[in-house]
Amino acid sequence: MGKVLRRWWPLFVLPCALSFTFGFIIPFVQGAYLSFCEFKVINKAKFVGLSNYVAAFQDEQFVHAFWLTALFALVVTVLVNVIALAIALALTRSRLGGTNVFRTVFFMPNLIGGIVLGYIWNILINAVLSVAGQQLLALNTTAGFWGLVILTLWQQVGYMMIIYIAGLQSIPSDYLEAAKVDGATAWQTLWKVKIPNLMPTITICLFLTITNGFKLFDQNLALTGGDPNHMSELLALNIYNTFYSRVGAKWMGIGQAKAVIFCVLVIAIALVQLKITKSKEVQQ
Amino acid sequence: MAEVQLKSLRKVYPHERGARHGIGKKRASQRKSNLEVTDEGVVAVQDFDLTVHDKEFVVLVGPSGCGKSTTLRMIAGLEDITSGDLLIDGKRVNDVAPKDRDIAMVFQSYALYPNMTVYENMAFTLRLKKVPDAEVDEKVRAAAKTLGITEYLDRKPRALSGGQRQRVAIGRAIVRNPKVFLMDEPLSNLDAKLRNQMRAELIKLRHKVDGTFVYVTHDQTEAMTLGDRIVVMRDGYVQQVGTPQEVFDHPANLFVAGFIGMPQMNFFPAALRKAQGGYELATDFGCVPLAERTSRALAQAGAGEAEVTAGVRPEQIQVHATQVEGALHAVIDVSELMGSTVHVHARVGANDFVFVVPTAELSREDGRAYADGDEIWFTFEPNAVHLFDRATEKNLI
Amino acid sequence: MVRERRVNRVLSVVFTILSLAWVYPMFMIFVNSFKQENAINTTSVFELLNAGNFDGIANYVNALTRQGFAFAFGYSLLITVTSVVLILVCCSMCAWYVVRVNDRFCKALYYLFVFSMVVPFQMLMFTLSTLADNLGLNTPYNICFIYLGFGAGLAVFMFAGFVKTIPTEIEEAAMIDGCNPVQTFFHVVLPIMKPTYISVGILETMWVWNDYLLPYLVLDSTKYRTIPILIQYFRGGYGHVELGPMMACIMMVIIPIVVVYLLCQKYIIDGVVAGAVKG
Repeated sequence: MGKVLRRWWPLFVLPCALSFTFGFIIPFVQGAYLSFCEFKVINKAKFVGLSNYVAAFQDEQFVHAFWLTALFALVVTVLVNVIALAIALALTRSRLGGTNVFRTVFFMPNLIGGIVLGYIWNILINAVLSVAGQQLLALNTTAGFWGLVILTLWQQVGYMMIIYIAGLQSIPSDYLEAAKVDGATAWQTLWKVKIPNLMPTITICLFLTITNGFKLFDQNLALTGGDPNHMSELLALNIYNTFYSRVGAKWMGIGQAKAVIFCVLVIAIALVQLKITKSKEVQQ
Repeated sequence: MAEVQLKSLRKVYPHERGARHGIGKKRASQRKSNLEVTDEGVVAVQDFDLTVHDKEFVVLVGPSGCGKSTTLRMIAGLEDITSGDLLIDGKRVNDVAPKDRDIAMVFQSYALYPNMTVYENMAFTLRLKKVPDAEVDEKVRAAAKTLGITEYLDRKPRALSGGQRQRVAIGRAIVRNPKVFLMDEPLSNLDAKLRNQMRAELIKLRHKVDGTFVYVTHDQTEAMTLGDRIVVMRDGYVQQVGTPQEVFDHPANLFVAGFIGMPQMNFFPAALRKAQGGYELATDFGCVPLAERTSRALAQAGAGEAEVTAGVRPEQIQVHATQVEGALHAVIDVSELMGSTVHVHARVGANDFVFVVPTAELSREDGRAYADGDEIWFTFEPNAVHLFDRATEKNLI
Repeated sequence: MVRERRVNRVLSVVFTILSLAWVYPMFMIFVNSFKQENAINTTSVFELLNAGNFDGIANYVNALTRQGFAFAFGYSLLITVTSVVLILVCCSMCAWYVVRVNDRFCKALYYLFVFSMVVPFQMLMFTLSTLADNLGLNTPYNICFIYLGFGAGLAVFMFAGFVKTIPTEIEEAAMIDGCNPVQTFFHVVLPIMKPTYISVGILETMWVWNDYLLPYLVLDSTKYRTIPILIQYFRGGYGHVELGPMMACIMMVIIPIVVVYLLCQKYIIDGVVAGAVKG
């Protein structure tokens, strides 16, 4: 098939490859190059070496956003996975009624876009804060951070739960029955049978949540917009603001340099995941 | 008329950079460990010469990875021919597209189109050729009737059993009315009982449809029962071509001798020695004189004294409960009751032998059945002994 | 057994409460979308509807007529449908080609596609939006080419994953039956890949429909607003924020999603699982 098919590349590959070239490859390469330049518009770029990177790391807002993002990703990863796994374990119990309804409900927020979600929670959290007599989101750093965490939980727990349920259901029932015959308690079955067999799924979910946590943008923009004074600004939003909200020619290049740093970080996470997944495959 | 000629056909899978090593998918060439590797790549088929006559049923048989499927796929046009010529009806078709070779192929996995009904599956090729609807209908229904699948015509393949799918796959081939039918292990996905039944049906079908068949299998029973001639292959090389009887009675080498025949031929090391009036074998369990015909053949071949591997088929050994004249000694390890026969595994000197004993003859003269650990005696039937050169593994006769 | 049943009963109660909490934010928006404008403030959002604050469907009418919601909905629909169809058709063909031909060019392309899935949008947002402007891809009618380019990674990856599981024998049978590659693809391969089309279609739809930043940067946002842009535009504090109509907007965004979700729940969940496990 391959040999005959090869002649047909203009039909099969060209549309995709062309769009991909313009939609990804060219902007990516340009972006990587521009991170070493000072520019206002792309065709008038002046090469300035690493100074954009130096400036990026000297930007306090960026450093703050970096650590905030790391903390956020950590908190969200732990909470989302623990809660999602707990719900998944409970919903896969035998003879528990209404599991389909619960599943449907928990998953639903996932389909709603980040901007809309952020807006809904902005209204809700502000209402709670004002009832509690606290400062509103626009002035409240702590509430901004935890609001974002709660929002992310609301959105992602259902998603991860679905993946965990799929993982749990794919454990051969022989194993569970064998454990039962061997006299394992529910607790032992969980730790000795279910969790070890779930490790591939857990790896996937961990990395999905970490990556999502780092890449989070829409929700951040819509919930707090970085207020107060960039204190609730995560990396992606910081980069966006560097590009479009800061005055001065140098910020474009610095923004691009930040984007490259961000990109390298996300790729590094993905590579670690790949390595872990690969090494697991070898063991099995 | 449909004659297929293969002239020194050769297939080499180039090293790594080839299109065959898919993203994540390993092609056959990487698994075949015993294949010859040259600078060009892995040689899957070597010097294949064969003429399949019109209306002949030829079976390619061999263990997995021997190149039989590759050969078939070269005939089909699914695999490029590295060198050599392929002729169908005297016309060189090396570079002709599969659809223009006037062949039909039945695949091991049946390869039915899952989204089409049985009818559509069979009609597909005719529709592509823009055959008028009435004619399509006529041909499909005729083929369905031949195969007894008329009542399933509206079903999708997944609603069919393995045997029914197999019939549809064959039906799809028949509808084309091709010159050559190519079949790639068509029965190996069926369970044992159904396989026997379909084998019998294939023999019947073969006489109903006039066509030339090239059939690939790893199952020697299929090869023996279906083939007018069989081609035994190993590691890309043809080992022997002949009628089933020829291959069984006179295997060309040690490999063919071991591959054809169930249970396997018993092999033992021996020294060929000249004795008065002929030859004899010196073995670690005694001296075996060779029959007159064998000796004559050896003399004609000019055989001298040599170290050989000897082989005797289990069916051609007589088992005795007591020591008769010229009989050799054995101790039973274990015996398996197969139904009408019993396979007796026994130690003979340093060798393990299998004897096939009819169940009816199983009991000893004292009325006691053979038990593990019993001593028995055996003699070879005349002309039962095959002799193979220790080094070249070729049949000496 | 008795103990198990008791645990289940407790769990049922817990999950019922949790489920109610889960839908509460949406319920709250729903209630407030029917309130009079001056009855909505930060503390009164918890109040249920009553004779004093009920405003009928006035907010919905307002959102549809004055706030440009109908246009935004139309643009979102247009962009989503064209982009997803384009992605499905082009990427499935590309994936099949890449897996079956699989020469050096194909391998390189495939790994680039996989790589593109990881790269965050911020990396290219500036250069991509400039490029789109220069190429005239900044209208809702041809922004789909950018979505094709940027969305190709996941789609090709998932399609390729499925193509690898299709036995080549079926395609070889089609070849012997007389199909050329185009016929093989559309008569044989495409029908087999139907489940993957659904999965990829759902994932890409969720992405494009909800996407904010790409259309915001690429499109001329004074002329063309998709739903997320519209909502963020009002949020951004350009003049007085009319909360009532905005809640109505949000409801009108959520309701189609929820309806579609309830109708094709099985496909959506399967698609999400497939995407996650592959990705």
